[in-house]
Amino acid sequence: MIKIRSTKVIGLLLVMVMLLSLVAGCGGGDSKTTTVEEIKIGNIIPLSGSAAPLGKIGQEARDMAVEEINAAGGIKSMGGAQIKMLYADSKGDPATGVSEAERLITLEEVALLTGTYQSGVAMPSTEVAERYGIPFVVPVPSEDAITERGFKNVFRLAEKTSWRNRDQVTFIKEMAEKFNTPVKTVALIYENTAWGQGAVRAWEKYIPEAGLEIVLKEPYPSNSSDLTPVVLKAKNLNPDIIMMVSYVSDAALLTNTFAEHKVMPKAYIGTSGGFADPAYFELTGDNCEYYFDIATWEPDVNRPFSADVNKAFKEKYGYSMNAEAVKAYTAMYVIADALERAGSTDPEALRKALSETNITEGPSQMYASEVVFDETGQMVNAPLVISQMRKVDGKMERVSVWPEEEARPGMEIVWPYPGVGK
Amino acid sequence: MMYKMDSLSVIVNGISMGAIYGLIALGLTLIFGIMKIINFAHGALLMLSMMCSYWTWKYTGINPYLLIIMIAPVMFVIGYSTERFFIKPVLDAQKDVREPIAVLLLTAAFAIVLENLSLMLFGADYVMAKTTVTDATIAFGGVTLSAARFYALIIALVISGGFYLFLQYTELGRKLRSCGQDRNTASLMGIDVPKTFAIAFGIGTALLAVAAITLLPFYYVHPTVGNVFMTKAFIVVVLGGLGSVPGALLGGIIIGLIESIGAQYMTATLTTVIVYAIFLLILFIKPSGLFGSRLEW
Repeated sequence: MIKIRSTKVIGLLLVMVMLLSLVAGCGGGDSKTTTVEEIKIGNIIPLSGSAAPLGKIGQEARDMAVEEINAAGGIKSMGGAQIKMLYADSKGDPATGVSEAERLITLEEVALLTGTYQSGVAMPSTEVAERYGIPFVVPVPSEDAITERGFKNVFRLAEKTSWRNRDQVTFIKEMAEKFNTPVKTVALIYENTAWGQGAVRAWEKYIPEAGLEIVLKEPYPSNSSDLTPVVLKAKNLNPDIIMMVSYVSDAALLTNTFAEHKVMPKAYIGTSGGFADPAYFELTGDNCEYYFDIATWEPDVNRPFSADVNKAFKEKYGYSMNAEAVKAYTAMYVIADALERAGSTDPEALRKALSETNITEGPSQMYASEVVFDETGQMVNAPLVISQMRKVDGKMERVSVWPEEEARPGMEIVWPYPGVGK
Repeated sequence: MMYKMDSLSVIVNGISMGAIYGLIALGLTLIFGIMKIINFAHGALLMLSMMCSYWTWKYTGINPYLLIIMIAPVMFVIGYSTERFFIKPVLDAQKDVREPIAVLLLTAAFAIVLENLSLMLFGADYVMAKTTVTDATIAFGGVTLSAARFYALIIALVISGGFYLFLQYTELGRKLRSCGQDRNTASLMGIDVPKTFAIAFGIGTALLAVAAITLLPFYYVHPTVGNVFMTKAFIVVVLGGLGSVPGALLGGIIIGLIESIGAQYMTATLTTVIVYAIFLLILFIKPSGLFGSRLEW
């Protein structure tokens, strides 16, 4: 009996101490309302699991941006308040993303949420933020639906997936005109899961709109042992353009088999993914020369700040940024800009400031010349760049070629496809 | 009509790819025929052979086909030791069990260990051996075929044929077949059954090494590459008949042709479905397969 009593007493004491410290904390907070010293920003990214390397580079990019912003005097309208990043590990898992969003909002009382890498995590986590009325800036996920649910607090910096397919078609039309090579037929070769099927839905909209004809729609399993049948089928139809959605192993098999059978369309166009994987060059060697691929950023893209920021990043971390890191980096500047104009961490003021974003200068230029969100919270002109695989000084490289004002100076597009080793 | 131009290419490609499937299935069917063990580590052992071949090629740069004389004996030793030190104790322990399932689980676990070990040692990067034959093509009468696939076809035919003759006409071949037919009687006739089993497993693994080397010049190497061919090898073995050598080769070529020709008239996704449908159909109509017979061995 006595034992139980003593534990109860200790428990009671502990509760009292906790309550006291809470009261003390609140008191401290009250006196600081005029000069907020720290703005807490919650960041949900995959720091473990298969996407952990991508989460890591995203964290590094954010840290670099925040360091720059804080060193430049923080948020001036709030008395030079410093941004403090709170990272939470989503493990790339939607359920973990949701519980971390809840925790960051209710326990950490963050002013704003950002992050997520996978669209699958972004969808339910943004729902949590919407429920609590806390703004959520989504830099990377590209699933169309993220900004198509009528949410007020979600702002997406990335392009929609379908925009890549739209811009590929625009590119084809422009090149056909520029080089005076009429283009009529398109073959679509894609891996048969949700990713490939989503791309095809977008292509089926944009390709006929551009007056082109789809002559082949070929879904294939990405773990195929042999893609020669697919290649021979495309060869027999002799399309003007071959467009692909592939992971790296199948992208390489397709590229090598196309070279083997000397298939000669006017252009091969990839849709990021496997074509953007560093292993792709290793697997295909010279066979991928003159292939096109689409992405949001390339290390050589001709945009203001791009080279300088990438150089600073490289010095700090030892490797180049990627498109996702650039979006994460830009997002921190967009958030800082909104905080500056809101002048407070009140969610409603912050939401309003974000919706009125219109940035046309500063480091966000490396991503887009103009950062503006439409009424759904979607970045209006998320930029895309098409690169061509080219041999520079004997080594295969991705060379930015389109849009022309962002192309690598001194490099001309090779169109139509001249064949391997030409 | 539309496909007339390259129909010969399609058929030749189907046969050459199919011959490789057959070559991969050969080891599986041998191990089953003699030991009555379904070897779930077959795909992983193929991957291991490809890894060994790739790294040997990378550091020596020799002609990939010369690798056969180096890698096949190594894989034989690996297969032999695997049987001797892992499978045999389990087989002995379950000698009196009617359905010895532990060996099956053992091979499955072995596959997982091999895959993760190579993930650890070699990383998850996709690599490909860009050998001198990699991008070469052979053209005859309007048919283009990659040189690597053509050589693969020849090697598969020679190895399968030679292996068949070996089983039929050599003393060791007879010993192997007798163990497959009835291990107890074979034992009574003075045949060292455990040793024969180990040799069978070793030969099955060495055959895989040959298959791995035919794939090396045009296929990527990755810790999970075994899975791509593993399921196909099972289908081939069931189609050709469990335990049948000619059945494995013919089953492989049939699957290769279905994939290659089928894809010209429907999507590649659908041909995969058809291959599995045939697999089910064969199990339903003729479970022993095209060449399968209880007395084959």
